[in-house]
Amino acid sequence: MIMVNNFKMIQKFCELLIFVTLIFCINNLFAAEGGPCKDYGECDEFKYSLNDMSSLQRGASTFLNYCYGCHSLQYSRWGRVAKDLQIPEEIFFENLVFDKSVKPGDLMTGSMSKEKSSQWFGVAPPDLTLVSRVRGDDWIYTYLRAYYEDSSKQYGVNNLVYPGTAMPNVLIGLQGNQRLVCKDVPIIANNGGEKRDNSGNTITKEKCGYLMVEDGSGELTKEQFDTLIYDLTNFLVYVGEPAKATRERMGWYVIFYFLIFTALSALLYREYHKDYH
Amino acid sequence: MSEMVGKLFGWVNSRLPIANTFERHLSKHPVPSKVNFWYLFGALASVVLIIQIVSGIWLIMPYSNTEEEAFSSIEYIMRDVDYGWVIRYMHTTGASMFFAVVYLHMFRGLLYGSYQKPKELVWIFGCTIYLAMMAEGFLGYVLPYGQMSYWGAQVIISLFGAIPYIGESLELWVRGDYYISGITVSRFFALHVVALPLILIALVFLHLVALHEVGAGNPEGVDIEEFLDEDGIPLDSVPFFPYKVLNALVGIGVFMTVFAIIMFFFPEGGGYFIEMANFEEANPLVTPEHIAPVWYYSPYYAMLRAVPDKLGGLIVMGSAVAILFVVPWLDRSKVASIRYKGIYSKFALAFFGISFLTLGYLGTVGVTEVRKTMSVICTVIYFAFFLLMPLYTKYEKTKEVPKRL
Repeated sequence: MIMVNNFKMIQKFCELLIFVTLIFCINNLFAAEGGPCKDYGECDEFKYSLNDMSSLQRGASTFLNYCYGCHSLQYSRWGRVAKDLQIPEEIFFENLVFDKSVKPGDLMTGSMSKEKSSQWFGVAPPDLTLVSRVRGDDWIYTYLRAYYEDSSKQYGVNNLVYPGTAMPNVLIGLQGNQRLVCKDVPIIANNGGEKRDNSGNTITKEKCGYLMVEDGSGELTKEQFDTLIYDLTNFLVYVGEPAKATRERMGWYVIFYFLIFTALSALLYREYHKDYH
Repeated sequence: MSEMVGKLFGWVNSRLPIANTFERHLSKHPVPSKVNFWYLFGALASVVLIIQIVSGIWLIMPYSNTEEEAFSSIEYIMRDVDYGWVIRYMHTTGASMFFAVVYLHMFRGLLYGSYQKPKELVWIFGCTIYLAMMAEGFLGYVLPYGQMSYWGAQVIISLFGAIPYIGESLELWVRGDYYISGITVSRFFALHVVALPLILIALVFLHLVALHEVGAGNPEGVDIEEFLDEDGIPLDSVPFFPYKVLNALVGIGVFMTVFAIIMFFFPEGGGYFIEMANFEEANPLVTPEHIAPVWYYSPYYAMLRAVPDKLGGLIVMGSAVAILFVVPWLDRSKVASIRYKGIYSKFALAFFGISFLTLGYLGTVGVTEVRKTMSVICTVIYFAFFLLMPLYTKYEKTKEVPKRL
């Protein structure tokens, strides 16, 4: 009887939890409309791996070589990055820190004056410490790969994710010239399958807006470039919240502790419950 | 040695009613012997209150309440303060969890008539706590001084401006400046960390003292005071310690597990607990694309937007909270619990619940014509639930309530 009662209570609690989670999910589903990746459509999915030190190290190197000239990481400290990414301090300061007056405890405040840069670009390049938290990692990963040639723009490029972006494609030498092209794509019938003509050939129509890199125009292949952007985004996720990996590791222990706590208190409760039932 | 301690305790106890108070309000306090999980949320709310106070004290130490440093001091806490991120996420998760358990606690009240005579004052103190919490949450959300802090505050403070005659000067008085600035942040800081916590603690104290005076309810709506043993203790009751404590402990265990899952794995709660735009420093020159309140205010925000007139919206929003206070006098039913109420009450409560959740959803998304119509319908249902309560509770057929639990 007591068991049943207890069980029912837990069951009801679980039902409630499921209900709340469901509401939460539905909410998220609806909220996703009118995606943040604009003309690109759905953002490409990005899965961070904050325990992959070599990825983070490569990402840091790309950032400091290509981005840090304009973008600061003003809430982050040099020494912390070296320590968290397991780069020995001498190697880090020798190879990745170009301003030799910098000390490990200094903030990464950038090297370009905000006044001058806003004259040059029309808008000062934003600080990127928290960009992964404001925009989300999917967005960054997609944005950096969505540049295309557009001669009507000041820097000759535009971006599908951020139309009219003020940032030139700094990585164009690595990526090569990416253009918007048209492709013949199969027409999808109402039943979800591809439409075919009488002889069984797929009916296609021309659709535009696809990104394609001109062969051999960049130093890296498409896969290599995607990896480069992956590492860079991974680094930005790290910099957005340096404690994230620790947090997720520690979380398991805390949850484990509370599960044991719950189990023990439930056993004790059951024992005392016998007194009055 | 133990004799010494006993003597010292006796000395203090004859001058301060420690043992008596402890027995009356904690150890021997009689609670109904049969309650369900809905009766756990009060205890959980006090757990979260403690979490908020303790984490809050530690957050004050490194936080800077100036316009220039508010935002960066939060990042300082997240990065440079040892375990600062633990303290901060505890506080942000705690804020959302506080509202979650309080909403469930309030719904329990509506389910089992926890406001009925003689518990009117318990209910009123509870509603006042809720009101104070809403103020506390709003003030706290401004402190990180992110984009949503700034623009959320802008929207809410400008509501004062809709009040006729005194509106504009009131707005200025609350803000302390012609626009939201460091002045606003520092006064909100003072209110958030001193004034409102004091009020909240005082109200929680009153809520509990009043509750212990009239006794806790139960899901059957049975008055356990009717059958007493020779010592005058209700037969259908058990002492608070250890029975109720152990019961609560299981609930606290489950709750803290959920709390830890959110805190360590989903601290932003998909943008509902910490909004993404709030990771960007406040910028008076750039309005965010979409200003949305945190989830726990969103039902009222949806009501505000459902009314085209600003003052009208403010009145509707205010009445939505104010009407909670008079519920004890709106319910004319002979029975307390939904288990013995009639079919009208059951439907009314179900519709109310659904419309409140729908309003909550609508408050977090952008406005379209359909959504606006839905907000209006749900707002009408929300008020109808309360305003029609005297009718449907009086004229429906109720079931016989058992004598004993």
